[in-house]
Amino acid sequence: MKILSRFLFAVTTFIMLCTVASAEDRLKMSTTTSTQDSGLLKVLLPPFENKANCKVDVVAVGTGQALKLGEAGDVDVVFVHARKLEDKFVADGFGVNRKDVMYNDFVVIGPKGDPAGIAKAKTAAEALKLIAAKQSSFISRGDKSGTHTKEQELWKSAGIEPKGSWYVEAGQGMGPVITMATERQAYTLADRGTYNAYKGQKTDLAILFQGEKGLFNPYGIIAVNPKKFPHVKHDLAMKLIDFVTGAEGQKIIADYKAHGEPVFFIYKK
Amino acid sequence: MEFLAETFRTAIALILSLDGEVVTAVATSISVALWSILFATLAGVPAGVAVGITEFPGKRLVITILNTLMALPTVVVGLAVYGIISRQGPLGELGILFTPKAMIIGQTVLAIPIVANFTLSTVKGADPRIIPTALTLGAGPFQSVLQLAKELRFGIMAAVIAGFGRVIAEVGVAMMLGGNIRGYTRTMTTAIAMETGKGEFALGLALGIILMAVALLVNLFLNILQQR
Amino acid sequence: MNALYRLIGIRKSHGQRTVLAIDDLALYPGKLYTLTGANGAGKTTLLNLLALLTPPCGGELRYEEEPVRWSNAALLPLRRQVTLLHQSPYLFDGIVFTNVAFGLKLRGIRGEEKQRRVKQALELVGLPGFGQRRARELSGGEAQRVAMARALALEPKVLLLDEPLANVDRATSEYLEGVIAALPGRGTTVIMTTHDPEHPGRLGGELIHLVAGELACRI
Repeated sequence: MKILSRFLFAVTTFIMLCTVASAEDRLKMSTTTSTQDSGLLKVLLPPFENKANCKVDVVAVGTGQALKLGEAGDVDVVFVHARKLEDKFVADGFGVNRKDVMYNDFVVIGPKGDPAGIAKAKTAAEALKLIAAKQSSFISRGDKSGTHTKEQELWKSAGIEPKGSWYVEAGQGMGPVITMATERQAYTLADRGTYNAYKGQKTDLAILFQGEKGLFNPYGIIAVNPKKFPHVKHDLAMKLIDFVTGAEGQKIIADYKAHGEPVFFIYKK
Repeated sequence: MEFLAETFRTAIALILSLDGEVVTAVATSISVALWSILFATLAGVPAGVAVGITEFPGKRLVITILNTLMALPTVVVGLAVYGIISRQGPLGELGILFTPKAMIIGQTVLAIPIVANFTLSTVKGADPRIIPTALTLGAGPFQSVLQLAKELRFGIMAAVIAGFGRVIAEVGVAMMLGGNIRGYTRTMTTAIAMETGKGEFALGLALGIILMAVALLVNLFLNILQQR
Repeated sequence: MNALYRLIGIRKSHGQRTVLAIDDLALYPGKLYTLTGANGAGKTTLLNLLALLTPPCGGELRYEEEPVRWSNAALLPLRRQVTLLHQSPYLFDGIVFTNVAFGLKLRGIRGEEKQRRVKQALELVGLPGFGQRRARELSGGEAQRVAMARALALEPKVLLLDEPLANVDRATSEYLEGVIAALPGRGTTVIMTTHDPEHPGRLGGELIHLVAGELACRI
């Protein structure tokens, strides 16, 4: 009994020390769910962490919340995709040194049978109009993310205010929404990166509309303004920005493939 | 059926192979819960004993409040602590949002009422002769209360374990205050929520099985203690 | 001769009901008092007062001719001279030895002296070699004896006993009677309550009879 309790005590102490014993530098980055759910960060960050001898703590939320965390000074760097919101973030003095990192595009995915017939549509707005007319199920991110922002823009240009039981606001990340749309055989707007990562095993939904200029999806990385928040790890944040926009990071992004297909594209220099 | 069986096999394989993500999430969960319960014990046990042995006006009200706090929704605790430790909050200086420390604070708040309440009911059910006996044998007030705690050690241990059971299984605080950071603040519960959303059922299930095992152990312990 | 206890105008009531009303009573050291009276006559209340556990509602209690101040700091040194044995005593979880040594440890008595006193006390109550027994596994009579040993180990000035012989078997009762009767000779003042009309006569000493909280007669 005594030996057992000694042993338990030792194990307990050891486990408890696990969480507090990390003395390395930690950089907090808020990002969108798509960069995490697509699996890119798992290959992009470790080389940087080794090089800079630090840990990058990734808080994956919607773009809107990711920027909010930056505005509150709760993170050191943000990595998002909603160009208009990003520019406002910088203009309002919360961020500095915004850099383009990569891009992909949005696609409208849905059940293979395409009940609303959106494959024939000429523009994304028209595709959404067809879905609304048929009242086919559509799952919206509903989380103020970059994808959600883009979706709202599209509804606006279609002149429709989506409402009704066919329009579901999930309030979740990209991955969960694709999972939900798969379960309910519904349409949704997804970024190509996350969709590619899910295609096959996790979803049987198909890309039904793609390739329009308005569906372009650029990702940017921004350091939180050290003048506004003196506590942020600005130097480390700048190192990360240099890394992902530099040759090594760009090569990792370009080479990253999910199910044999590229997920993100880099800008030609 | 085929899907479930297949997922289950993969989940078991993940556990048996000591998959890195699984092990880290389990260790983080247990570690954070242990720290929380340590602090909750330091605060909750004395509070429970104090309320239990003293008579004061408003005691019933205090007990009612303690009971209510036991059912405190985890997301409310998360929200409140978030507001306090965010950079914009009063303790923003510390910069501990999205760290294990933040989770420990939230889970401690969550566990204190449970530890205090269970301690309180143990004290209320204690033999009324314990303190007078200690006093007549020459103990001071503090020593007699210490003796009371010693006599009630199994009940108090049960209180602590009940608190542990609550925090290890909660997801609200861990998600909101920890941020579900891979390899840092990702716990069993946040990982389950995330992996299921991503369609990674096997990983979610693997963690779910471990969590159930931990819960089972905790309750087993609790049962043994309550029978003493 | 200086009194050990002196009660002057002591009043104690629960709500409206007066449970103790003693205008003048002096108890002297080295004696044995038997306290009798019907149920609810105030015997236990008086013992708790003398044990310095509960203060009176009115009046003055003197211990060795000094008025008792009812503050924790002032009470502790006095309480260490007085020990009360409950009617159905509570034994702490653990072995008999730790129970008997409990009060000794609090008084800073350690090592050989502690061992000696525990051994002696257990022998006195007729339980030699019971030190390692688990307290919870004792019979009623044995538990009563251990509790007595726990009190005697302290070598108190005053031993207050609440019906010490009520709940035990005949053999234990007779044995403890002998132990109690010998105490005043060893310098311990004994004040015990009893229901048994034969006790006062058999044990000798003085009789205090309470009726409805008041002193009825003293012999």
